[in-house]
Amino acid sequence: MITLGHYLTLSALLFVIAIAGIFLNRKNVILLLMCVELLLLAVNFNFIAFSRYLDDPTGQVFVFFILTVAAAEAAIGLAILVVLFRARRSINVQELDVLKG
Amino acid sequence: MAGTLFFYTLSAVLIASALGVITARNPVHAVLFLVLSFVTSSVLWLLLEAEFLAVVLVLVYVGAVMVLFLFVVMMLDVNVAQLREGFTRYAWLGAVVAAVLAAELLAIVWWKPDGLPMAATTTPRPADYSNTEMLGTALYTEHLFAFELAAFLLLLAIVAAIVLTMRRRPGLKAQDVSRQVAVRREDRVRLVQMKAEHDT
Amino acid sequence: MLPTEFAPAFPETVLGLGICLVLLVDLYLPARWRDVTYLLALVTLAATAMAVSDIGLSGTTLALGGSFVADPLASFLKLFVLAALATVFVYSRAYLQDSTYNKGEYYLLGLFAALGILVMISGASLLTLYLGLEMQALALYAMVAFNRDSPVAAEAAMKYFVLGAIASGCLLYGISLLYGVTGTVQLAEIAQALRAGGADDAVTLVAVAFVVVGIAFKFGAVPFHMWVPDVYEGAPVSVTLLVGTVPKVGAFALALRVLVEGLGETGVTWEPMLGVLAVLSLGIGNIVAIVQTNLRRMLAYSTIAHVGFILLGFAAGSREGIEAALFYTIVYVIMAAGAFGIVILLGRQGDDADELDDLRGLSQRSPWFALVMLLLMVSMIGVPPLAGFYAKWWVLAALLDAGQLWLAIAGVLFSVVGAFYYLRVVKLMYFDSPAGEAPLRQGAALRLTLSVNGLLVLALGVFPEGLIELCARALG
Repeated sequence: MITLGHYLTLSALLFVIAIAGIFLNRKNVILLLMCVELLLLAVNFNFIAFSRYLDDPTGQVFVFFILTVAAAEAAIGLAILVVLFRARRSINVQELDVLKG
Repeated sequence: MAGTLFFYTLSAVLIASALGVITARNPVHAVLFLVLSFVTSSVLWLLLEAEFLAVVLVLVYVGAVMVLFLFVVMMLDVNVAQLREGFTRYAWLGAVVAAVLAAELLAIVWWKPDGLPMAATTTPRPADYSNTEMLGTALYTEHLFAFELAAFLLLLAIVAAIVLTMRRRPGLKAQDVSRQVAVRREDRVRLVQMKAEHDT
Repeated sequence: MLPTEFAPAFPETVLGLGICLVLLVDLYLPARWRDVTYLLALVTLAATAMAVSDIGLSGTTLALGGSFVADPLASFLKLFVLAALATVFVYSRAYLQDSTYNKGEYYLLGLFAALGILVMISGASLLTLYLGLEMQALALYAMVAFNRDSPVAAEAAMKYFVLGAIASGCLLYGISLLYGVTGTVQLAEIAQALRAGGADDAVTLVAVAFVVVGIAFKFGAVPFHMWVPDVYEGAPVSVTLLVGTVPKVGAFALALRVLVEGLGETGVTWEPMLGVLAVLSLGIGNIVAIVQTNLRRMLAYSTIAHVGFILLGFAAGSREGIEAALFYTIVYVIMAAGAFGIVILLGRQGDDADELDDLRGLSQRSPWFALVMLLLMVSMIGVPPLAGFYAKWWVLAALLDAGQLWLAIAGVLFSVVGAFYYLRVVKLMYFDSPAGEAPLRQGAALRLTLSVNGLLVLALGVFPEGLIELCARALG
């Protein structure tokens, strides 16, 4: 029998993998963007699982909007990436050292 | 039982492909692993009877967003070897943070899930139940305001992406279809009268 | 007119229509008529403000399926945001006219950000709050990269974007857990469910922690501040001005709606968290600001320190503390707008003049604007009778009333440390000789607005009762 706990565990593991990926790939912006997508996927899993087990549509509506926002976010993120690449000819975060952080 | 087996198989694929995303040496492989994660998630969402979102995830995410990622990865032609240098430098920090987070998140699920509806079971939906109808009804009544906001958000994304990336380069050669269509014979063909040449 | 259900959202509707209008008009206008876009953006802001004042400071209405709330606080904050953004536009125009990227999209994206902030201010459900937050954030990411030829700006935008997206992910994870615990995303219902029980469960605790991370990032509090100095230094000055002012009101609204109105029952959990974040922000902000040589980076760290004070107000955990935080936010936005206005005034075509050394001998180059900057800096230190003094004093009083002696002591201590770098600016302006004779930026609108901005800091310091009363009434 698959319970809510199974789905929450899956979502938690995805979330942790995404966070680990952010640390592992600190230097590659495009991989960072992919880790963010994984992060949002974990959140979506939570919402859909809760929505099913609470028998409440709100969770699915929320996922609908997260997907919309994530698509818009990806478009803008990649646009910034293209601008950065044109200006620097590199997306290596190691070379992103003009600003001190 | 088949459902349980199905769940575990898909979950294993999902976790493996997510690990593939964060460890792949080649960004193109990472995007493809991400596509696999999304497709697997979509099937898992079908198990949760969120049919509409499962389809949207494949159509919008795999169909559009991931293709955009692939497009950018290939366009930028990233130097793979160089990007992976020092891959392990922060690995220990990532491992520590990940371990702590995993312990926390799994603890609230399995050890102290007070407040979460852990005991809830799913009742099978009736045959005439439509997930799309349920979602549509909620979207256009209770969440209408959010829906309108999403429209503005997408407009913002269009404006922002265009303002950041569109360039009008001087001297760029392009076709002007209306001028091509409107061209007349007299513009292009000139009849020239020449004296016939003779072999000498 | 609109159906009654939509009536409370009339200001947002006006702003949305205004955005469409500005977008279409700007598309068809030649570049030399850019001022039409600017004026139209100002008209849109004015029309929205009129729509807000139509609603006024009357009672609380929950509308649009419980996702939108119109209350006195919302009207007050919206009017302030619109006025602040209009000021920002006036300053920005002077800057953009001399730049190579004087495009109408600057105003358009600014209006989008304003729409997002307005939605956040009126957000009664986590869904609308999230959408408003993202709208504001996406508009700002794009604006930071607005100067496409600047590698520094693109780098700042990328850092801002990646960190912002991660913070949003954390916030969303917290929201999803809250949804699991309470079964709803509406703040009033969440508060009700938590009152019924479960406010001190482990799950709620973790959810609150994730939400606090998201909010702290939007404020730019330590340790989620890494983007602040880079964005402040890397973005075009006009965008720094925008990022440094209006979004802070949005962050305040987000914190108030989510933490106080939605998660008020879990105050014992988030108040100490905000207390720690506040002390860290005060410490790092004030100490690191001392070693900066770039005026914009210095102001960035000073912002982090001021955010620490705003969070102290929340950490007090009392009604008075939140009123003080509101007052502080308003005063801070006015001071920051003035300070960045001065940076714009100092710059000229092709040279932003944002090093501290560019302030040398300002008193000889322009005695009046040196005085304005003096007022702003002294107000930021918190010297009476300027507005900054009352802001700090009220927060400290609230902390002492709530028995948070140590937080109050930290606040005072780091304010004294902070006085050093503000006074250095004053010394540079009044006791050093000018490095060059570069003329200040002209423009009657810029100079007039900047003068009013500086005098406002003085006026609110001498007569703070009006604003204090307004803050108390808005939260009443």
